[in-house]
Amino acid sequence: MNNANPNIPEDVRTVAADGTQLRYKLMELSAQYPDAIALGRGDPDLATPVHIIEAAKAAIRDGHTASTPVAGLPELRAAIAAKLRAENGLHVDIENVIVTTGGQEGLYLVMQTLLDAGDEVLVPDPRYTSYDEAIASAGGKIVLVPTTHEDAFNLRPEAIEAAITPKTKVILIITPSNPTSGIVTEDRLRAIADIAIRHNLIVISDEIYEKFLFDGWQHFSIGSLPGMEDRTITLNGFSKTYAMTGFRVGYAAAPVNFIQAMTRVKAATTGAAAAVSQWAALAAQTGTQAPIEEFHRIYAERRTLMMDGLTSLGLNYSDPRGAFFLWTNSASTGIHATELAYLLLKEGRVLIFPGNAFGENWGSYLRISILQSTDLLVQALERMRPIIERYRAQESA
Amino acid sequence: MSISLTLARPLARRVVDLPEPMQNPTIMPVPEGVIDKAFEALDAGHTHYTDRPGILPLRSQIVNALNRHYRLELNADAATITCGATEARFVALKQLVASSSTVLHAGSGSVLQAAAHLIGINLATTPDLNVSLVYLTPHDVPAQVLALCAQAVLHGWWVLFDVSSGLTGDFHPAQRADLAPQVITVGSFSSTLPGWRVGWMAGSKAANKLRAYKQSMTICTTSISQWAVLGLEDV
Repeated sequence: MNNANPNIPEDVRTVAADGTQLRYKLMELSAQYPDAIALGRGDPDLATPVHIIEAAKAAIRDGHTASTPVAGLPELRAAIAAKLRAENGLHVDIENVIVTTGGQEGLYLVMQTLLDAGDEVLVPDPRYTSYDEAIASAGGKIVLVPTTHEDAFNLRPEAIEAAITPKTKVILIITPSNPTSGIVTEDRLRAIADIAIRHNLIVISDEIYEKFLFDGWQHFSIGSLPGMEDRTITLNGFSKTYAMTGFRVGYAAAPVNFIQAMTRVKAATTGAAAAVSQWAALAAQTGTQAPIEEFHRIYAERRTLMMDGLTSLGLNYSDPRGAFFLWTNSASTGIHATELAYLLLKEGRVLIFPGNAFGENWGSYLRISILQSTDLLVQALERMRPIIERYRAQESA
Repeated sequence: MSISLTLARPLARRVVDLPEPMQNPTIMPVPEGVIDKAFEALDAGHTHYTDRPGILPLRSQIVNALNRHYRLELNADAATITCGATEARFVALKQLVASSSTVLHAGSGSVLQAAAHLIGINLATTPDLNVSLVYLTPHDVPAQVLALCAQAVLHGWWVLFDVSSGLTGDFHPAQRADLAPQVITVGSFSSTLPGWRVGWMAGSKAANKLRAYKQSMTICTTSISQWAVLGLEDV
């Protein structure tokens, strides 16, 4: 299978080596098809909970619209710190927290604040390629750490240790993972913490999907382990948990000197997060958490439906222990994932991202999101079936 | 409970001596039209990502206002909504000016200082061999602006034209057809809506590159803020 197939239009082929650009190109193409079913972007389709909407309105009505401090509303920072202590076991207070303009900005600012040219960052492969851009922008170098389907894309401590060089500064952990929906289990996190301490490395722990784990798996924060508080930067946000991606509110927790420096970087690059968004996030954090349970129930139902549907299509996927995705092996179709994704969109009107949009090694995988209603997921599977079967038959012949 | 004060490893060199943020919260009454638009957007469920460039109605209004005021021919496709003018200026500098290069400014360059420090570029009021971008505003001395624009054409310098204080004056560097592809205009709504964090950048042959970089930083600008700005009488 190769990525130079003439069946793929030139404008898709030219960006195929850049995961982020490839995803955006496919989204642009999808916009041409009003009947397309989007199983691409990781944007929850569910409505933002009413109490969060009402809090935003109240903030506007009450005139809470002036610029906030760059590090964020003190009330929100305090609420986040309380959450991180209570739920994640982190030893943090308000001065360990900065509010960011979404989780992606958190990552960008962290890299700008931490990395000098040539510093190496160990990144699990496959990965959300926006990490690449944030690291490269700071002059850092990505060193990929392999993960495998057979191991449910859990991060192996021995693979990390093997990748360490004198230039290694950071281990990046994403749990649950985008794109694989695997998690890094507690036993592995404990071993990774030992490695970080032994080699004097920093751990960046992206926990944006922490609320969505399935089949009894539990989230665990590496920053809670002894000896990790001064070497862990925890990233999280409100977008995925509360279906409020458009508000653009995320946060980072880290030692005080790091947060102070990160605040200066934020002031130089984007300024404070939008005030109304921060008041809405405060309501999300301090108000009822019942919507999360409901979201979880809905996602669990969809996940089961999609797992059964993919199995019926003869496609296997890695164990989706968390997040919103099914990381699906498409090798049996015999065509490269970019072409398959393009055909699924063009002929089937289903937008799915090819695995190579999450790393060059993954041209025989698809990332399929469950962020549509069950009716649409059923329709999507029906549309996919003839295309998958046609190519599998050709491959067999 | 003891909290951690210091990271176990040194921070990046670029953050050493980075200026402290200026804290100057301005409380402004929010126009009724803005409140109405924000509420409409909230009720309509515009609480998810917008597309990468920002919502089309806002981009259209911005380029229409620029075209009307300065007699330009910008297209909405060349505009991107940003998190305030701060992000627009940073993105332009980061993407168009190499580290150790020089940014020339005719008037005050104070709004560029922190970004320039972070990127490692020099700010200067007189040209040197390393100039790659000129920063101009409508408040700069016209004769000096014209001379710098002529040099920008000659040397292929980028021009960052900052109208974040408002669309004033008659002159715009992009009126020169031979310079227009090198001109990025940045602006914001912060003078009337300071905490909503909406700015923009428009024009130039680098528009797509700048948009992609903005996306890599913050994905998109706050949806409600973008819709709310449409409620301003004069975008």
